[in-house]
Amino acid sequence: MLQIEIDHLNKHYGGFHALKDINISIKQGSFVALVGPSGCGKSTLLRTLAGLEKTSSGDVRIAGQSVIGKPPRERDVAMVFQSYALYPHMDVEHNMNYSMRLRRRPKEEIAERTRTAAETLGLGNLLDRLPKALSGGQRQRVAMGRAIVRNPKVFLFDEPLSNLDAALRVHMRGEIRKLHERLNATSVYVTHDQVEAMTMADHVVVMRAGVVEQQGSPLDLYDRPANRFVAGFIGSPAMNFLPAAAASNGALVLDNDGTQQIGLNRGMTHGRQLWIGMRPEHLSLKPCVNDMAIDATVTGIESTGSMTFVVLEVASQPVVLAHGGRPETRKGDQVRLHISLDDLHLFDRETELAA
Amino acid sequence: MKRYILLIIGLAMTAIYLFPLYWMYLTALKSSTEIFQYPPTFWPADTQWNFLEVWKSRGMGRYIWNSLLIAVGVTILATTLGTGCAYVLSRVRNVWIEIALFAILMMQVLPSSLMVTPIFVMFNQIGLLASPRIAVILAQTAKVLPLYIVLCRATFVQVPRELEEAALVDGSSRIGAFFHIMLPLARNGILVTSVLIFLQSFGEYVYARSLIAKNELQTATVGLQTFMGPNANDWNGIMTYAAIYVTPILIVFMLLQRRIVSGLTAGALK
Amino acid sequence: MQGIIRTIRDGSGFDILLLGLALLYLIIFSAFPIIYNIIMSLQTVDMFTLTSFNRPFVGLQNYYDIFSQPVAGTIFWNTVKFVVLSIVFQLSIGFGLALFFQQDFPGASYLRGLFLAGWIMPALVVGAIWKWLFAGDFGVINYALTSLGIADDRIFWLSDPNVALYAVIIANIWLGIPFNMILLSVGLASIPRDVYEAAELDGAGVFERFRSITLPLMRAQLGAVISLGVIFTLQQFDLIAALTQGGPADSSNVAQYWSWQFSFQTYEISLGSAVSVLMIIFVIVVAAVYVRSTRHEHSY
Repeated sequence: MLQIEIDHLNKHYGGFHALKDINISIKQGSFVALVGPSGCGKSTLLRTLAGLEKTSSGDVRIAGQSVIGKPPRERDVAMVFQSYALYPHMDVEHNMNYSMRLRRRPKEEIAERTRTAAETLGLGNLLDRLPKALSGGQRQRVAMGRAIVRNPKVFLFDEPLSNLDAALRVHMRGEIRKLHERLNATSVYVTHDQVEAMTMADHVVVMRAGVVEQQGSPLDLYDRPANRFVAGFIGSPAMNFLPAAAASNGALVLDNDGTQQIGLNRGMTHGRQLWIGMRPEHLSLKPCVNDMAIDATVTGIESTGSMTFVVLEVASQPVVLAHGGRPETRKGDQVRLHISLDDLHLFDRETELAA
Repeated sequence: MKRYILLIIGLAMTAIYLFPLYWMYLTALKSSTEIFQYPPTFWPADTQWNFLEVWKSRGMGRYIWNSLLIAVGVTILATTLGTGCAYVLSRVRNVWIEIALFAILMMQVLPSSLMVTPIFVMFNQIGLLASPRIAVILAQTAKVLPLYIVLCRATFVQVPRELEEAALVDGSSRIGAFFHIMLPLARNGILVTSVLIFLQSFGEYVYARSLIAKNELQTATVGLQTFMGPNANDWNGIMTYAAIYVTPILIVFMLLQRRIVSGLTAGALK
Repeated sequence: MQGIIRTIRDGSGFDILLLGLALLYLIIFSAFPIIYNIIMSLQTVDMFTLTSFNRPFVGLQNYYDIFSQPVAGTIFWNTVKFVVLSIVFQLSIGFGLALFFQQDFPGASYLRGLFLAGWIMPALVVGAIWKWLFAGDFGVINYALTSLGIADDRIFWLSDPNVALYAVIIANIWLGIPFNMILLSVGLASIPRDVYEAAELDGAGVFERFRSITLPLMRAQLGAVISLGVIFTLQQFDLIAALTQGGPADSSNVAQYWSWQFSFQTYEISLGSAVSVLMIIFVIVVAAVYVRSTRHEHSY
């Protein structure tokens, strides 16, 4: 069953076209991440779902009903803000049950549900504290608690973890995901961090400049990026791109270095300008199955201990290679770089679409 | 050591600056012959406590009551009209709001002494001068409302927008979010600004003098002016009157001094 | 009807309602009087035509009349002196005090706060106190001046036409010092300490630091304070009413008091309007410059 349908949605701010013809369908119970660089429109889209922004054209349906023109309070959605937006003049308990008090729920029900939510989030002993007496992580939990007590149709998250330190962030990722599964809720999660999107969501929507560039399951986006932007945005470290052109025999010739060819014939027309996309983890200094080798120079080595990133220069372009373990080469070495042809991505240089 | 020298210089400068206030209280406590001694004395030789006498003989109760009535009226009217307006000006951003804000800033600077002429004629024509205290309240509200809006807006600007949005998502209406979230969070600023315009209106002179004809409806400032008349020489009476009038103002001000200063500067320079 | 209630509860109708109420009030009681003032300044308005809605239209005759008054020149120069001298001294004394109280010593901010007592008091009361301080025979100021040897004889501050205006200016400076000082203190406090430390490391002395750091960084603030000073000085009425009432013989009269005298003492209301229109235009121009300058200089 579809919980949220966004149908040809457009949004203008004066002369600025903030959202361009957005179409997204979200199934009941799924976890959707909206991801993209800042200013891409992901937060605007989320706020549109909440009813905090007006739309210019198109339709938004929640549980089958159009919510265009409806104020936030008639949409039955809950939202966790980046700044948490806890009411500074209310203690934790009143912050959490404000929505139920507004709806004039019976006292017993309010008390019961506040208690359950507080226990779920480990806030039981903090109920009478004011937000200013809480740590960052506790505030984040109260913000979550405020959303879950209501049992809403949809949860909206606006970069809820970006104010936490790195370790807590990783921990909370798991917590939110578990909570989502326990409540069998529909969640829409905005983030600029593609790792967060990939690890938490069932369905990832990549946006840029108000346009949905691609949507699908995380691995779908990783394996089959629709264009160069998505390819470069998803995956860490980022995909390498080398400019190349198709030769008359169909092989790819690297620019600036006519001597190096990659014998991969995908029937490209002669002279077509392309980007070759290679993920760092699909490159190797050792031969592998169905590969192809080219000349490269090692220009730098960065090691994290568990992983090694080798920075190479191929046809005057920098290329990063990632492999587990310790480096076996040194700076300045001339090496053969092995490329797994099955994992190679090609993009048209003019349209930037996958070729 | 240097810090204590600075402290002594600071104390000396404050004392010089506040000397007129000291002189007011001192004169009020002197006897009517002592004030005309030359050279003057700097501490009362024979302390007089004639506050009650002056209060009664000058009919101060009535004057102060009228001043209070006007100040309360202005404060209620200005907070009622101004708070919501200040909130909207702090939240919405577009060309019309910019124009409205600019117009309000311009109205803030209009001197009462210049506005009183058209206001007098206008009120006279519509018969408002028959209830002159209300006329003064209306005129003085127009004078302080822009200042109130500007200072209050500075307070609302400091309340994060997300708090209001969170309330809307939680199920509140715009009205509910304004009363439950915005107002409580801007309460301090609103309170201080109200005190400020209350004190200003409590000391109002131009409108009272020009719009109120009957002596029994006059304010404390006009009462003092009458007391000072052309050939006044009851200076210890006048200073007693002045001391009775300003002491409550000074007390309120000293209690809220820090907050008034920060609110005022935030509004004036942003 | 349903729609209106709905937009007020949840939509932009709420904003429009809140904004509209206050703006409507200001239009009726502030903007309309200004327009009415301009109309009256082009008519003959006196005791006889006061309540009439159909008054004779006289064009710019009132403006011509005020400029042909023999005292017009005196009052114009008095106003200029009143504004310029008040601001020069308020600003320099206020700035000096702000710099002084910026230093670190016990009670600095508390003492600074005490200065504001002068600002919160009703100006009429301040005028009354100064009238007593200025008194010719028994005034404490004359006592201080003669016993310190600054003046040979008593000065009749309020009744001598040569000094009456300066007496009013001195009282007005006293009133304006706190406001100048507080606004400039805020500006000084917002200059980061490390800028001074950097200058000190570069070898700048106290005076050099003031000239090359404090003054340039305070430019916006000084501009704002000067504009506000002009505005507040032109609002000053109560002090004049208490001290000299423009006298003796208009020697301490200024435009805003003159306007009021026309309207409420000689009942030449249209002349009062004409003076008032000219002054309001001037105040609004100053205020517009001020608002523009604060909008552009948000920070440094």
